Amino acid sequence: MNAAMRRVAVTGMGVVSPLGNSVAELYRNALGGRSGIHRLEARFSHRLVAPLVASAQLDGSAHFEPQKMRMLDRVTQFALVAANQAIAQAAPEFDALGRDRVGVFLGTGMGGSQSSDDGYQTLYGDASDRIKPFTVLLGMHNAPAAWIGIEHGIRGPNLTYSTACSSSAVAIGEAWRRIAQGEIDIAIAGGAEAPLSFGSLKAWEALHTLASIDGDDASASCKPFSKNRSGMVLGEGAAILVLEPWELAMQRGAPIHGEMLGYGLTTDAGHITRPSVEGQAAAMRAALRSAAMAPAAVEAINAHGTGTQANDAVETAAIKAVFGERALRIPVSATKAMHGHLLGAAGALECLLSLLAMQHSAALPTMHLHTPDPQCDLDYVANTARSNIAVRTMMSNSFAFGGTNAVLVLGGCGLQD
Amino acid sequence: MTPTFDKLRDILARDYRIAPELLTPESLLEEMGVDSLGVAELLFNIEDEFKIAVPPEPVTLATLGDVVGYIDGLIQAQGTAVAPSQGAMTLPA
Repeated sequence: MNAAMRRVAVTGMGVVSPLGNSVAELYRNALGGRSGIHRLEARFSHRLVAPLVASAQLDGSAHFEPQKMRMLDRVTQFALVAANQAIAQAAPEFDALGRDRVGVFLGTGMGGSQSSDDGYQTLYGDASDRIKPFTVLLGMHNAPAAWIGIEHGIRGPNLTYSTACSSSAVAIGEAWRRIAQGEIDIAIAGGAEAPLSFGSLKAWEALHTLASIDGDDASASCKPFSKNRSGMVLGEGAAILVLEPWELAMQRGAPIHGEMLGYGLTTDAGHITRPSVEGQAAAMRAALRSAAMAPAAVEAINAHGTGTQANDAVETAAIKAVFGERALRIPVSATKAMHGHLLGAAGALECLLSLLAMQHSAALPTMHLHTPDPQCDLDYVANTARSNIAVRTMMSNSFAFGGTNAVLVLGGCGLQD
Repeated sequence: MTPTFDKLRDILARDYRIAPELLTPESLLEEMGVDSLGVAELLFNIEDEFKIAVPPEPVTLATLGDVVGYIDGLIQAQGTAVAPSQGAMTLPA
């Protein structure tokens, strides 16, 4: 990190996820290796090849008045609930700092896809011309970020990043950069995704990237780094962090959950879906450079680990390219086996899980890894979490269709002094 | 009150959780939380509930009475009739 840059603390965390709607519940379930993946029971399930999802259990009506609910797509409901948790925990002093010194940085891959799907159903399915008046406001990608800004009176930059599965890692990285460089003082940063509509499930199915159902246990269908992996399972939810300068957090006695140390961003510029060892490795190296750290400083990794044949083999090779011989001894967790792939919210959820793992001196498990793949030969913390391991620095990888590779370097609470 | 007013009152009570007894023809939409976006939504629902087509031209509606007059004008022009209000039966439990 450049000497002129400010240290950045994480002082608030909020979540809505397939593993629970509070940070404590999420961590408890992740540590226990529980899966939020299940068979989808919906009127259209029979039209899906493998009706599997990782859904979040959130009843929006418990959080929003009816007239407001009607303006909020499910993705925005997730974002608002998670942001409210994070902001309540950090209790940032917006007025004292000036509300234009506070920003919202959100990632989403598919925005309000449920509302868009509903609109298409009306137009094409029902052959009606009567689209709901709020369809644009529900479906637009920047709605979740906009509503967080409205709800909390945040008047600085309000930005939405859409780089498919790396969206929220990009959002957190860009927020970190602005705080580190002194452009703003507080960032509400993370991601939200609600991609479990019939239309988007069918679209993902058509790409042949989704997992087939494990006949013995549907909840074990996503098997990152296992030889018998068959693809990813779509998940939904939101994960939001509050970021602020380390000194400010210390001065005001805010809870510090960890530190944002670095951020690397590269683009494959090769194939629209096929991942690249070089692109992923370059992003990891860029993140280390921005953190002014040598590879030896990284003590654990949260992998992108989607459970697709292509990603997991390429990511393994990229980690080896960056860390050399030591790659075999670094604990690598692929938590998507439990919470599914939250697409534009995945990077934020995994960043949050990484911070929690460091706080608790643990490495989270890569579940359903029983069949080793010679191409995937790292230490994946297979099937059982590891406790009582001191991890001070973690890397969280997020890669994407379109080729945008985003890597975050995170420090645990042990770095506070 | 007229059948149109009764039905409109029930729609607002349901969608905005407003106590129906507080609604009069003089009630201001803005004060009920029905802003310009809310009016767009209200007109959409009025089309469904009153079986009328709302023309695309912008319309300025300030009070409940204005909305009732607007609906009655459309009903007259389009030859539809207002079914008796279901009253509180239409409210969510």
